[in-house]
Amino acid sequence: MEQFIINLLNGLSYGMVLFLIASGMSVVMGAMNIINLAHGVLYMVGGYVGWTIAVQFGAPFVLGLLTGGLAAGLVGLAIERGFLRLLYKQPNEQVLLTFGFVYILTNLSLWIWGGWPRMPFTAKVLSGSVEILGKAYPKARLATILIGFILAIVLWWLQDKTRVGAMVRAGMDNKEMTMGLGINLERLFALVFFVASCIAGVAGVLGAQLLGVYNALGLEILLLALIVIIVGGVGSVQGALLGGILIGVIDAFGRALFPKLAMFTMYFTMIIILLVRPSGLLGRRT
Amino acid sequence: MEALRVEGLSKNFGGVSAVDNVSFSVEVGERLVIIGPNGAGKTTLFNLINGQLPATSGRIHFLGEDITTIPTHRRAHRGQARAFQIISLFLNLSVLDNGLLALHGTKPYRFKLFRSINHYKVISDKVQDTLRALELWEKRDELVKNLSYGEQRRMEIGLGLALQPKLLLLDEPSAGLTMEECSGIIDMIKNLGSDITVVVVDHDMDLVFGVAERIIVLHYGQIIADGAPEEIQADPRVREIYLGIEE
Amino acid sequence: MKTANQQTPTIPRQGQMINLVPYVAGVLILVILPVFLSSYSQSVMTRFLIFALFATGYNLAFGYAGLISLGHAAYFGAGGYTVAVLKLHYGSDLFWICTPLGILIATIIAAIFGIIALRVSGIYFLLVTFALGQLLYSVAWNVSWLNTPGMQGVSGLSLPTFGIAGFTLNTTSFYYLVLLVSLICFYLLFRIVNSPFGHALVGIREGEDRMRSLGYNTWLYKYLAFVISGAFSGIAGVLFGYYNYLISPTHLGVGTSFLPMCMAIIGGVGTLLGPVIGAAVIIFVELYASIMTPERWPLILGGLFVVAIMFAREGIGVYLWRLCNKVGHYYGSTKS
Repeated sequence: MEQFIINLLNGLSYGMVLFLIASGMSVVMGAMNIINLAHGVLYMVGGYVGWTIAVQFGAPFVLGLLTGGLAAGLVGLAIERGFLRLLYKQPNEQVLLTFGFVYILTNLSLWIWGGWPRMPFTAKVLSGSVEILGKAYPKARLATILIGFILAIVLWWLQDKTRVGAMVRAGMDNKEMTMGLGINLERLFALVFFVASCIAGVAGVLGAQLLGVYNALGLEILLLALIVIIVGGVGSVQGALLGGILIGVIDAFGRALFPKLAMFTMYFTMIIILLVRPSGLLGRRT
Repeated sequence: MEALRVEGLSKNFGGVSAVDNVSFSVEVGERLVIIGPNGAGKTTLFNLINGQLPATSGRIHFLGEDITTIPTHRRAHRGQARAFQIISLFLNLSVLDNGLLALHGTKPYRFKLFRSINHYKVISDKVQDTLRALELWEKRDELVKNLSYGEQRRMEIGLGLALQPKLLLLDEPSAGLTMEECSGIIDMIKNLGSDITVVVVDHDMDLVFGVAERIIVLHYGQIIADGAPEEIQADPRVREIYLGIEE
Repeated sequence: MKTANQQTPTIPRQGQMINLVPYVAGVLILVILPVFLSSYSQSVMTRFLIFALFATGYNLAFGYAGLISLGHAAYFGAGGYTVAVLKLHYGSDLFWICTPLGILIATIIAAIFGIIALRVSGIYFLLVTFALGQLLYSVAWNVSWLNTPGMQGVSGLSLPTFGIAGFTLNTTSFYYLVLLVSLICFYLLFRIVNSPFGHALVGIREGEDRMRSLGYNTWLYKYLAFVISGAFSGIAGVLFGYYNYLISPTHLGVGTSFLPMCMAIIGGVGTLLGPVIGAAVIIFVELYASIMTPERWPLILGGLFVVAIMFAREGIGVYLWRLCNKVGHYYGSTKS
């Protein structure tokens, strides 16, 4: 029983990081019809910056989260304003462009931060553990779950309860109509892309506690984000949350119960979802 | 003999019924026009008949065969041809390519991998004849997007006909056309052979009364009137709901 | 997939002469040039041909059918791993066994993945093919049967043998073998894109709904295009296994999947030979970058993608093609 709870909590904390990575990418895909393959690299940039601030400079963890998020957000905004903006409705070109930035940003990070991996760390505020059913459980993981849930609620609120969210949802349904309503789609898209990149950066800092940061992380994280999106369904915060938690929990139990097959559990989940419900658990059916 | 029979056909979109328990049948060679205000479910009904959408409930029979669940491309092989409300030609391909693709669609060698498409002389000749009849042969190397709207519409319907369909579904053929172009389309429909069944959705009254032998009026997904043009014109409910909105 | 400024593959019309000049000139250069080159340069040319074949096969699905796949390294790598495993466990590098088996395995994997990936369309197809490609990458990492003991991947591969006594390949003759195989493949692909089948693929790319109501079983077309494209990737993979002496999980991963896409876009998506030009550009830049500044090679490659996308949208190959046609027309008109 204790083991079950521990596995569940491990899965949830991992799932929350997955959710945060996937949510921004999923909303960008749904609203702007753009696959941003550089999303995982933005996560990595956030992770490096946050690690530098929080560990190397010993600044408060919250400051690390903020700077990591902001750094990724600004890099994302630069990609969108400088390049992607000119390529709307050209999916091939977008894919190639964002993958170009995967190479560029990965190599630049290697230049700036060097090749040695940053180890997982625990912020001072979150060090120590809590006793759950007689077993010690690290506070940092619980905090990750908590922060994930708070951000999920904020994002859901942004999506469903605010004017900007309503415009984004309207834009998903009918772009021409939304423009007819006098909404400035350019600015809206820039904002969506910026926020999505910020979340990727924040996720990078949170994830750095669990997984560390290293140079090949960008593509590994991208893969996880894509699988979460495929499982949860494109275009909504809820879909990314469900997909993230599901993959996180399945992965945690997979590692505990069948360690040899652990690497493949998420692929199996994805393939089964695709065969049964190709648009994902909470995706719109077309 | 019945060409098309629709029984209790319904389509729900998230609880809203776009088509609600619709039943009717069309005889071979009949010219049926479906009218109704915007949002009455006309295009949805076409999508059900031609298979772009699956029906929520009800059956569709085509030439005596139940086709409710078969995919669109098989319906095409059984003799359905459709012209869409929005021009659906391949705008980035040439006129000739559009003709070749249309006429190869139901031919058995369409899967041939290693022979040039120009090898099939019968088809090439047929494409040439069709395009000449549509007065588009001279423009065969133009991209379709560079044709005028009237030419595109004429080409779409013309290619539909070149397949020698048994049932022709025309979704707002008059949309966006000038009066003159529109009367050309009316003549084209009138001159079709009596073995071709035609179902048209349209708003344009010249076209509706120019081609209809029978009219069905749809309103909120339901049939509220079904009869000869004169009966429809005289029907008080139709005047109230439909013609009232038009004027 | 509809892209605004993509030019369409043109089909030679009846009675219209195909402009053979660029083809003949290209083949002649490929046949004659290596005679004057060092064996290192020959080996670079071999690499170019292998990737040109990979990219051209990939482009049947990508440029013609409009299937944005980011997982073709799975089939390429499957070809390579076939060569590797046959060498590692059975000690065979016989061309007559490795090649058909490699193609077969690549095709089978493409046939299975195609069924899963074609459940979705458009950009989602990209996600699924990407994830499936990474699945094989994970398999290659974790299954010890697929690795030389003590390392990741399989090393110690060699050039193919033919079972003919006294006949062995060197760099030069291997180049000509690759050239021969590539030319056969290009010819087959040429026939395919000009057949009713290839024509239908373009129709599906431009408007799948219309193709369905015209009577085409569009799913089957896309599926066949995907599987055929996977088979050609497999051939390229087999040749690459022989060429590279080493196959590692990277050759199944997204970085490798991305190369043919990049070559196709840089060279010109809607044309048969555009990807060949794209492959020439990438391999050439790779060569120089790896000599001048190996550490910054990814930066240069990334920069190349960005520049190509922003400034040569239709593809470099398309510009060259137009130039050839202009020259051809000029030549034709002075004659008459």
